[in-house]
Amino acid sequence: MTTIVTTPQVIERRQKGPGWGQVLLAAYVLLFFAFLLLPIAIVVLVSFSSSSFIVFPMPGFSTQWYYRIVEYRPFMQSLLVSVEIALLSALAGTVLGVPAAIWAVRANTNAAQVFTNVMLAPISVPAILLGFSLLYMLSALTLGVSFLSLLITHTVVAIPYISRTVLAVYRGIPADYEEAAAVLGASRAQIFFQITMPLIKPGIFAGALFSVLISLDNLPLSFFFGGASSSSLPVVMLSYMQNQFDPSIAAIATVQMLIAIVALGIVNAIYGVDKLTAA
Amino acid sequence: MSQPAALPIAEAGEATLRSRSGRPFQISSGLWALPALIFLMAFFIIPLAANIARSLPAEDMFRFYAVLFTDPYYLGVVWQTVKVSAITTVACLLIGYPVSYFMVRFAGRWNSLIVFLLIAPLLTSIIMRTFGWTVLFARKGLVNTMLLGADLIEKPENMVNTEMMVYVGLIHVLVPFMVLSITSVLQGVNPSLEESAQILGASKLRTFLTVTFPLSIDGIATGCILVFVLTNGSFLTMLLLGGGKVTTLSLLIYQQFTLTQNIGFAAAMGNVLLLFALIGMTIQLRFLRRKGVK
Amino acid sequence: MNASVPLSLENVTKRYGQTLALKPTSLHVAPGEMLALLGPSGCGKTTTLRIIAGFSMPNTGSVLIGGVDVTELPPNRRGLGMVFQNYSLFPHMTVGQNVAYGLKTRGMPAAERTKKVRAMLDLVRLSNFEDRSIHQMSGGQQQRVALARSLVTDPKVLLLDEPLGALDRNLRESMQFELRAIQRRLGITSIIVTHDQEEALTMSDRIAVMAEGEIVQVGTPIDIYERPQSQFVSEFLGTANIFDGTLAGPAEAGMWNVRLTLPNAPVVKVAGPPSLRGSSAIRVAVRPERLAISPESTQLRANVRGIVFRGSYYAYELDLPGLEKPIYVYSGEKTVAANDGTIGLGWPDEYAIMLSDGGVR
Repeated sequence: MTTIVTTPQVIERRQKGPGWGQVLLAAYVLLFFAFLLLPIAIVVLVSFSSSSFIVFPMPGFSTQWYYRIVEYRPFMQSLLVSVEIALLSALAGTVLGVPAAIWAVRANTNAAQVFTNVMLAPISVPAILLGFSLLYMLSALTLGVSFLSLLITHTVVAIPYISRTVLAVYRGIPADYEEAAAVLGASRAQIFFQITMPLIKPGIFAGALFSVLISLDNLPLSFFFGGASSSSLPVVMLSYMQNQFDPSIAAIATVQMLIAIVALGIVNAIYGVDKLTAA
Repeated sequence: MSQPAALPIAEAGEATLRSRSGRPFQISSGLWALPALIFLMAFFIIPLAANIARSLPAEDMFRFYAVLFTDPYYLGVVWQTVKVSAITTVACLLIGYPVSYFMVRFAGRWNSLIVFLLIAPLLTSIIMRTFGWTVLFARKGLVNTMLLGADLIEKPENMVNTEMMVYVGLIHVLVPFMVLSITSVLQGVNPSLEESAQILGASKLRTFLTVTFPLSIDGIATGCILVFVLTNGSFLTMLLLGGGKVTTLSLLIYQQFTLTQNIGFAAAMGNVLLLFALIGMTIQLRFLRRKGVK
Repeated sequence: MNASVPLSLENVTKRYGQTLALKPTSLHVAPGEMLALLGPSGCGKTTTLRIIAGFSMPNTGSVLIGGVDVTELPPNRRGLGMVFQNYSLFPHMTVGQNVAYGLKTRGMPAAERTKKVRAMLDLVRLSNFEDRSIHQMSGGQQQRVALARSLVTDPKVLLLDEPLGALDRNLRESMQFELRAIQRRLGITSIIVTHDQEEALTMSDRIAVMAEGEIVQVGTPIDIYERPQSQFVSEFLGTANIFDGTLAGPAEAGMWNVRLTLPNAPVVKVAGPPSLRGSSAIRVAVRPERLAISPESTQLRANVRGIVFRGSYYAYELDLPGLEKPIYVYSGEKTVAANDGTIGLGWPDEYAIMLSDGGVR
């Protein structure tokens, strides 16, 4: 030790750190996410097991189950059906839902309000009831168990998911932009394609991707339509699980999750995940 | 002080002038909604209406509903449906609220990550998550293996196929919806309101109970209705984790359809579910209207 | 450049449900003139502008641009330019694309378009900003882009909806001059909607003051300020000290003696129309800067309630016995009150304004 400090004394107060309550809360949140992610992580882990049963500790790692699901035709075929249905229903939902949502936001009449509620209602109706009712309806129309039936069914649910985010985004866009374009000489079609569409694009993308993800996993809607060319992945997984209990289910589930994560990545890049809390 | 008084308008003069509808300029017209309206009429409204007709057989109209609400077994199923949904809803609220509070008040730059982690499970299939719980708790699952290894139990316990497991599975699937619903409302609560309460002498607990919690009640209501309705519609969790111990209306519809093919009865049960959903939607619309949004 | 054209409203009305948002209104704007629609919110000025633009269809009456009835035309076929309150620049387009948009909808070839856009950006002093995105621009710059976008199509009439409302005070003042200079240079018939009296006074050739769905007074800024016809106008534009009184008989040419309703009943001279008679009630307004104060004794004596220094002048708040509201005086000098705390108050006769409505419009 040398000299005592001679500079004018500045007493720095110790800043209050996070309190006990806050630390406990943070610990709880960590625990919560462990609960949320644990069953998912364990499935991914099991998908790499070298054993043909689910057993712990796992005897070793292998990618055999991924080869197995590629070879097992029903998995691959139904995955293709699922992806096709998801994309096509999102497209149909966009074509039907977006113009309707645009009208409903600006019309500001009671009829538009009622229509908005009808358009959003399929989200709230139990999917099993919707699938059940549609099966008999479509059978009466001689469509029965078919790819087209499955597509119509999924489109009914795609419409509310897409129009919901479009409604939210479009409500936040003042009519001024469209009015400004009108004063500048744009026709209604020009306004729609050059001004309105680019402005609501984030809403369309987010809604369409939501719709894709919901469709991929919509067992209660799909299992009524599980024919040869129209079994979707969850339907095939469920029937597989009821007979066998091996890690190939884990492998195909992991593949499906990867598709979903890629889709979410796209939403994030275009729209920002933060904004989804508000939607 | 006299304000500029409203003069009587020249009503007489106006009457002589041509009158127009006075409609405002708008890019869209009702025609834009027509395709969606026709589609939803054909494949949403009419099928549901037909389903109501299907549940009311001509010879004895209310037969199925009478059985549903008088037969002790089916009455028990209706009761269990409500019970499972109610318990799941309350559990999701208790488990989810602190997470919402943390997200809004303390998460800061971690917020994006937390939102991602909340949404990510929603995007894995429900089958995957249910399978995950089975792998964890089955007789040869991870938990049994670890407990045996630690000599805490002597022989593997069967922990799946229990009522408890169904609740774990349901909460796991539905709690993110609750958290997201509450968070979106809680975000709108200005922290300065909490600070003012504290300046006025309220303790932290009191501030929470008298300021924060009441202000987030709209989000709680939305989240609760959502979780309740979604639980009503679930059957996969009960099917895969319940081992026949938990039978709800949705599961029964699935079984009726796949096994007994009793169409009219399944339709009637579906309509009871629809009624629950409609009650939920009505309450939710009330809440939205009260907030003055939409 | 189009030749300047006149704009007229003839007996236009607008109702929303049961409420009459715009009572029968007629208005004529001369070619090249800048007219301000001034009034508090809800007075009908925005409704009027939206009817001219074509966003809102009047229930009766017609809109004429250059003598042609455009009432039934949609906004995209009226050939107008408009600057919106928050500019409404298209966020998904660059500055250049925004300005070019109106030319694009008219099908102008790209090469010609680029030339016109450049010229217009030069005019608003944004020469090198063509490729910037909108959110890189400051508020004042966005304002200029909006102006360029509305002018590039050579519109017949320029509509400005509270164009400077979003800018801070200093920027607003310089933009007022700039906007006015550009409008004069182009000689374009313009209507500016504003609730800001200073903006209306600075920028327009004439002001139409609106209240409760109708135009209450039209005139040049000096006219409106110096000779408001009603108490509402006198108080909405600037500050006015209001005195009640009764007619006491004619004074010299064009002037009347008015007995103020105050203790001692002082008599003042006020200019007024020759048609007055009897002992009708008269309301008189005097602007604060026209009032003179002195320590000496005059007809009116007021108690000094407070003095505030406002940079270029002092603002006095005075209590005049017999008046409920305080009297305001703006004076360049600081005047000391007499020993009893009172101060003398008076004004040159020509600055007393007789309000024709006697209080009511």
